[in-house]
Amino acid sequence: MADLFFGGIDVGSLSTEAVIINSEEQVLAEVVLITGVNGSEAAQKALNQALELAELAQSQIAALTSTGYGRASVPFATGKTTEISCHGVGAHHLFPSTGTVIDVGGQDSKVIQIDDRGHMLDFSMNDKCAAGTGRFLEVMADRLELELDELSNPAYITGPSTPISSTCTVFAESEVISLLAKDTPREQIVNGLQRSIVNRIWSMVVSIGIHGEVTITGGVAKNQGLIKVLEEKLGQKLNVPKNPQTVGALGAALIAKRHHSDSTST
Amino acid sequence: MYPFDAIVYLQRDDHYKRSDLEQRAQIDAMSINDTKDKVLKIPDRSDYLRDQRRSGQEIMGVLPALYPRELLWAFNILPAEIWDPPGEILLANVHLQASICPIVKRGLEFILKSPEIINSGYLFPHTCDSLQNLGTQVKDLIGVPVPVYTFYNPKGEFNKASKRYYSEILFNLQKTLEKSHGLLSQNQLKAACELGHKIDIRRQMLHAALMEDRFDLSNREYFQLIRAAEYMQGQDYLDLLNHVEINEQIGVAPRARLLVTGILPPGDDILNFLDESRVRIVSEDLLSGSRRIPIVEMDQPDDPMEYLVERFFLLPPCSTKAGGLDKRLQYLKKLIAKSRCHGVLFNTVKFCEPELFDQHFLIKSMKVMGLPVLNLETELQPGLSGQEKTRIEAFLEMLDEGVPV
Amino acid sequence: MSLSAKLKYKFMKDYGAPALMSLQGLKRRRSRPTPSAFGPPLESNARLKEILTRHYYLSRFVPGVKKVAWVTSGAPVELLRVFDFYTIYPENHSALVGAKKQGAEYCGIAEGDSFSQDLCSYARIDLGHMLSGKSPAGKLPKPDLLFCSNNICQTVLYWYKAISQELDIPLIHFDAPFVSDRQSEADIRYMAQQLQDMIPILEQVSGNVFYMSDLEAVLKRSQDSSRTWGNILKAMQAKPAPMTIFDAFGHLAPIVSLRGLPVAQDYYNILAEEIDDRVSKGIGAIRDEKYRLIWDNIAIWYKVRYLATFFAERKMNFVTATYTNAWAETIDHLNIKDPWNSMARTYGQIILNNNLKHRLGLMRRMIDDFSVDGMVMHSTRSCKPYSVGQYDLRKAISTSLNLPSVIIDADIADERVWSEQQIQTRLEAFCESLEDTNRG
Repeated sequence: MADLFFGGIDVGSLSTEAVIINSEEQVLAEVVLITGVNGSEAAQKALNQALELAELAQSQIAALTSTGYGRASVPFATGKTTEISCHGVGAHHLFPSTGTVIDVGGQDSKVIQIDDRGHMLDFSMNDKCAAGTGRFLEVMADRLELELDELSNPAYITGPSTPISSTCTVFAESEVISLLAKDTPREQIVNGLQRSIVNRIWSMVVSIGIHGEVTITGGVAKNQGLIKVLEEKLGQKLNVPKNPQTVGALGAALIAKRHHSDSTST
Repeated sequence: MYPFDAIVYLQRDDHYKRSDLEQRAQIDAMSINDTKDKVLKIPDRSDYLRDQRRSGQEIMGVLPALYPRELLWAFNILPAEIWDPPGEILLANVHLQASICPIVKRGLEFILKSPEIINSGYLFPHTCDSLQNLGTQVKDLIGVPVPVYTFYNPKGEFNKASKRYYSEILFNLQKTLEKSHGLLSQNQLKAACELGHKIDIRRQMLHAALMEDRFDLSNREYFQLIRAAEYMQGQDYLDLLNHVEINEQIGVAPRARLLVTGILPPGDDILNFLDESRVRIVSEDLLSGSRRIPIVEMDQPDDPMEYLVERFFLLPPCSTKAGGLDKRLQYLKKLIAKSRCHGVLFNTVKFCEPELFDQHFLIKSMKVMGLPVLNLETELQPGLSGQEKTRIEAFLEMLDEGVPV
Repeated sequence: MSLSAKLKYKFMKDYGAPALMSLQGLKRRRSRPTPSAFGPPLESNARLKEILTRHYYLSRFVPGVKKVAWVTSGAPVELLRVFDFYTIYPENHSALVGAKKQGAEYCGIAEGDSFSQDLCSYARIDLGHMLSGKSPAGKLPKPDLLFCSNNICQTVLYWYKAISQELDIPLIHFDAPFVSDRQSEADIRYMAQQLQDMIPILEQVSGNVFYMSDLEAVLKRSQDSSRTWGNILKAMQAKPAPMTIFDAFGHLAPIVSLRGLPVAQDYYNILAEEIDDRVSKGIGAIRDEKYRLIWDNIAIWYKVRYLATFFAERKMNFVTATYTNAWAETIDHLNIKDPWNSMARTYGQIILNNNLKHRLGLMRRMIDDFSVDGMVMHSTRSCKPYSVGQYDLRKAISTSLNLPSVIIDADIADERVWSEQQIQTRLEAFCESLEDTNRG
């Protein structure tokens, strides 16, 4: 019997990810692209690249689930699911003892409680305000004339921090400007920002609760400083996936597989 | 102005019987044209009020939420409630800070446009701190070309003192309105209370039918129907309610059953989205909705003033009256059990302190009960943002996992 | 009530607390030099700190000795005094947390428990305190009773309901109808009736019996201290003003939270004497008082010092405020011979329960009486009754009196909404316009 393949595509506001798995739930390909202005184009491009990596043709994909902000604009998807469910399923697959998932995405952050099958029990999502999201860090990095990746620089992880009290992105930006004007060292400001973003995420974590292991997903999970501050607050280690960005797409692929087997078994 | 007495009222009744028949004929005609569509003809708010005004009807703008509508009817005043007038907020921003609730802002925006349909004044019932201040701001600082009335609603746990007080302020409101609208006749007030009583009973029946899936209205239609009470004449509204067919049989099971609580129902785009997603709102605990209908079927009004006092104290627990939290939870638990809902949707107006405080306790208690909760915060803007859609869909996915099929 | 708890409380009251206070007094006197823009500091400051620290310190030894009530700032506390409740004012405590710049931390605790960030920060801080047990004042005793009146806002009723639910403690609520026009006979009757109906519950919770003569004595003390406080504020009509409104924000604490007790009366007698003395000697709160300002709304607790210095350096002094005046304004309605009705008049008509026409009239009078040159309004996110309508109040005052004015958007105790860049620019522009107006 020919092996079956499943796809997951996560069209986010900043980046688009594609994952292909086989029926053994092994990952055959993962792709990350910038979304740009056209979500459906980015989705097709990401899928094509993933197919190429996995050496498969699109027709060999038995089912494909789209997720993320642009999940409705993926014409070739056989199903769509929110990124909240997908991050839960993806995190559970990578770290089966996960009870709480923290996903810090570009526009939104979410904290998700899952059961021992990866099913969502509860979730919390930030309000419209961008504080506590990837976008907040992006704005601040820009203001500090740093690349986003540079925020992970060890110099910005240890050492003193200057508190940033404003919760509003716009206010925080003006606070950063005035700190720079006072010649406050950049490391201190970055550290302060990391704490500020963690404080925002924290109230969501508390409202959902810490249930067993905590897994962090989303692009911001690559930020070492943030992980460190968050772990300090949690009082426990975080599970950090190798590719935190593609957890949503992985979850989508797993959901595609599950739906496929549900529909063929009935 | 001459008071219109019981005879006039009877004539109105006759008129309504006629219009009732006409309307039925219209609906029959429509059902021939479009058989699959048993559409309820709910008049558009602005059109309806404009027609009323054109025919010489006195109209008073009433801000949220609890007020003695029967008393206004008895003075032949049509209350037009102002909750969330659509459009951009421009003028009100000159008078109000950014962190003020959108109901207050939209209300002021509406008032500042000096709408012609409002000729009889504005009534500000005492609901919350922000509306309280808006009332005096409009009356004492901004100024409008029509009179501004206020009406205090007692707060907290009710006792003997609150009952007596309520009957006294009701009487004070009557005296105030008599200065501009002529003496009130007891017969008129009685007729108004009887009409209100019929509406209440019909509303209670419809809410019960909603919980039992016994009619074919979509979510959106149901709330259009409920909200028509905000601007229609009592008799017209009763006719409309009587047109809703309650089925003997229970309808098709939806994908999920939700109870909605808050100030206003979700916006049309969210309701449409729920309709598309085969999700049914099976009960509502909304300030603009069932929180203004007594929890029990009251007796026919005998002494109208006594009836109105009694009615106020029989309204369901509500954040704006600020009674005990536990009472409110117990009441909601009854709705949850009766409607067999799978989850609760908190439709929250941004910056609404009364709801935000109560909500904290209610959401926690529901989570303890194992009942999934979705909290949607709105600034009353139209549309459905990507984030809102994701929230709702994720919530439904969560319910899918737990809902026995 | 155990004898040992009683003895311990008595010992701490008479010996322990005074000893501790003198130690702290020594420690404090060394810190913080006064910036040169200010005149000599008030000597009563030390006594004030002593009273308040002692009040919070003693509260630890109260359980088992006295029943504890948590009370809102506008509630008719005189009734509780008759039953010998130890009163804690959560608003005062939240202001203290705010002044220590810990507001965000406590708010964060409440937000973590899913209280919305859009709620009043006094409430969030207090709920954060209740949830965590933390307090910069050490430890507050748990309440046996909650006593609140919505004459300052409806918010306190929600806030106290939340505490009542969480701690399962009885809540007594005094419903004070908002004065849209003038108080009606029905309003007075309703309030007077509620006050009398509270007596059996208060007797039951406290275990003490009500005597009318006790109430009369407490009301008398309360009225005397409120009048003395009113006179102290009035003394600021002098040029230069003997204190700044930023001092008054602090000296307000006893009239809010110790009203009706001898300690408050004694304190205001001392303060009044010092103020009178300063007036007669021409000692000003700031060295060179050139402009006189009015403040509207509650203090910005975490920026009191910043604002005081900012204005003092520009030779500007706040000489009056609607906020500090609130505990003196309606006291003349009190008639000890007719306690119930007159308490209804006194407590029902305080500034935040009264319409904006009244507030406008009051502010105009204050501007006139205190020879005010400019107005600063604090629009606070937390307080809707104080803030909704401010834009139009400002317009009405500025245009009719040709008075320079400014509104700053901030919060009473949550420092996270403070944007120094923006506010400083605004305030500087205001100062420039004030100087221009007076020059031209």
